[in-house]
Amino acid sequence: MNGNLGNLDHKTVDESSHKRGHNQSNDAEEAALEVDNLSKRFGDGAETVTAVDSVSFEIQSGSIVGLLGPNGAGKTTLIKSILGMVLPDDGTVRLDGVDIRDQPRTAYAQVDAMLEGARNDYWRLTVRENLRYFSTVAGVHPDAVADEHQRLLEQLDLEEKADVAVRDLSRGMKQKVSLASVLAGGAKLVFLDEPTLGLDVESSRTLQTELRRLATEQDITVVLSSHNMDVIETVCDRVLIMSDGEFVADDSVEELLRSTDVYGVRIVSGDFDEKILSRLREMFEVTTVEALSPGARVEVETEGDGIYELMDWLRARDVTPERVMTVEPGLEDLFLDLTDQDTRTVGGELE
Amino acid sequence: MSSHQNAVGERQQTAGYLQLIKAVLYREFLLFVRYPANAVGGVFISLFFFGVLFFGGQVLSGQALNDSLEGIIVGYFLWTLSIGSYQSLANDIGSEVQWGTLERHIMTPFGFAPVALLKGAAKVVRTFITSAVVLVVMLVLTGTTLALNIVTTVTIATLSVLSVLGLGFAAGGITVLYKRVGNWLNLLQFLFIPLISAPIVEQPLLRILPLAHGSGLLQRAMVDGTRLWEFSAVELGTLVAVAFGYLIGGYLVFQYATKRARRLGVLGDY
Repeated sequence: MNGNLGNLDHKTVDESSHKRGHNQSNDAEEAALEVDNLSKRFGDGAETVTAVDSVSFEIQSGSIVGLLGPNGAGKTTLIKSILGMVLPDDGTVRLDGVDIRDQPRTAYAQVDAMLEGARNDYWRLTVRENLRYFSTVAGVHPDAVADEHQRLLEQLDLEEKADVAVRDLSRGMKQKVSLASVLAGGAKLVFLDEPTLGLDVESSRTLQTELRRLATEQDITVVLSSHNMDVIETVCDRVLIMSDGEFVADDSVEELLRSTDVYGVRIVSGDFDEKILSRLREMFEVTTVEALSPGARVEVETEGDGIYELMDWLRARDVTPERVMTVEPGLEDLFLDLTDQDTRTVGGELE
Repeated sequence: MSSHQNAVGERQQTAGYLQLIKAVLYREFLLFVRYPANAVGGVFISLFFFGVLFFGGQVLSGQALNDSLEGIIVGYFLWTLSIGSYQSLANDIGSEVQWGTLERHIMTPFGFAPVALLKGAAKVVRTFITSAVVLVVMLVLTGTTLALNIVTTVTIATLSVLSVLGLGFAAGGITVLYKRVGNWLNLLQFLFIPLISAPIVEQPLLRILPLAHGSGLLQRAMVDGTRLWEFSAVELGTLVAVAFGYLIGGYLVFQYATKRARRLGVLGDY
């Protein structure tokens, strides 16, 4: 969907930040992650690229937050800046109240990450050996969390493969091992970049259920970056959408979807012909046309009372709809819309 | 390392540096015994080149080779030790970058620095084992005998190789910054040959180069039978200073390169 998002303006980052600021006094102790005015620029002079532009946000303990954005939006740089893999130019990051610059070792004791495109663990070691190794480097004695490791293996269906070298596992299993090794050290805040990539439907659902359980029962905070909108919609309490290094939306999935009155209208009619379709395209936001014999199935994007205007227009041209159906927008539509029109919120102000 | 609570709210027993040492060394041990092909292959390649050198040299030089054979064996032993330590550390850091595990270590309470040092130590021990096999086979093959005082040989060889380990760290740092430069850095190992055979008696200043002074002491220890305590304090002091000078220097280069890579945002790009 590429039309205007009618009342999205009251859901801009600026206001969300304000709302967070309002709640801050109550929830300050629970913030697992606080980022304040974080910026990262690459290059010099005229070739400077601002990957992350004065970003500020907080994430409360035990929540699952989705981080969305098109390629090049700055998600990875933001995550890596928080994790210390990229040194930011400005701003502060606090993990569980600890500034990563002042006390990096203490701050990172609570954090781990599974990054996309990397192995993340040692393929020539077995699954169990990886869990023990990464819990040790995370500062946790592996013997003390042996039961936790066993439970992780069971929950992620890795028990039978526990003593198999990771290199001998399928891609989906390797993905699970990565997740298990990230959780093996008892991290309270985990960053997961495309965790369901390569997983079959069942494994993906198991993983989502497990993430939800970890957040609910064990107060683990998860920052999830994925291009899979279904995963984000299903498990995330809150969604941050980035574009050009800034946040263009920050709210719960429900609120974000509620914030738009844009919707699709699907019409099937035998009266559609090339001439009418051509005129329809000029007058309305036609998103799909599927030829039928006779006529066509057409989807038009509209908002508010636009459906009545559309029906009047069709009636005036003797087009009798055989079937009319409204299509609610999904997160993907909203995402595309926001990231295509990110200039709506320049510096938090509507254009 | 402060203790922290785990996911179920229980106080967890924390892992300190002792556990870290055990974990890193155990991992290196597992890889060594579980995947011996690299080590065995390295031994065979080393012996093949020595065979070419020995039998080819006999044909070309005859008795002249036999007169300097002990020195050649000691030099070759030190060379295999050096390239083994250098290559394994430099390549290992490159692999960690490629696998994304270096990034994971960066954000742990320990960081990657102690892990890299422990890996370096493990590589030296591992290379000692394979180079010892090469040495024994060389001695049997040529019918040569050397003065093998374990304490003297191991101490001098280890200190000699520490300077190379420093070069390995520096090479690893360059890999972290510029990525696919492993093949170029591997060429550096051929510089070890002139370093090992550097004329330190005629040119004493060459002693400050890696391997040069250590090679001279090792020759005296293994060929002439000089014991560790029979070397002068200046000689041993120079050996220690060169060893730790290059090790610390290389390590600082690695640390600087890692920080620069983080600044440039290229730490994990491969």
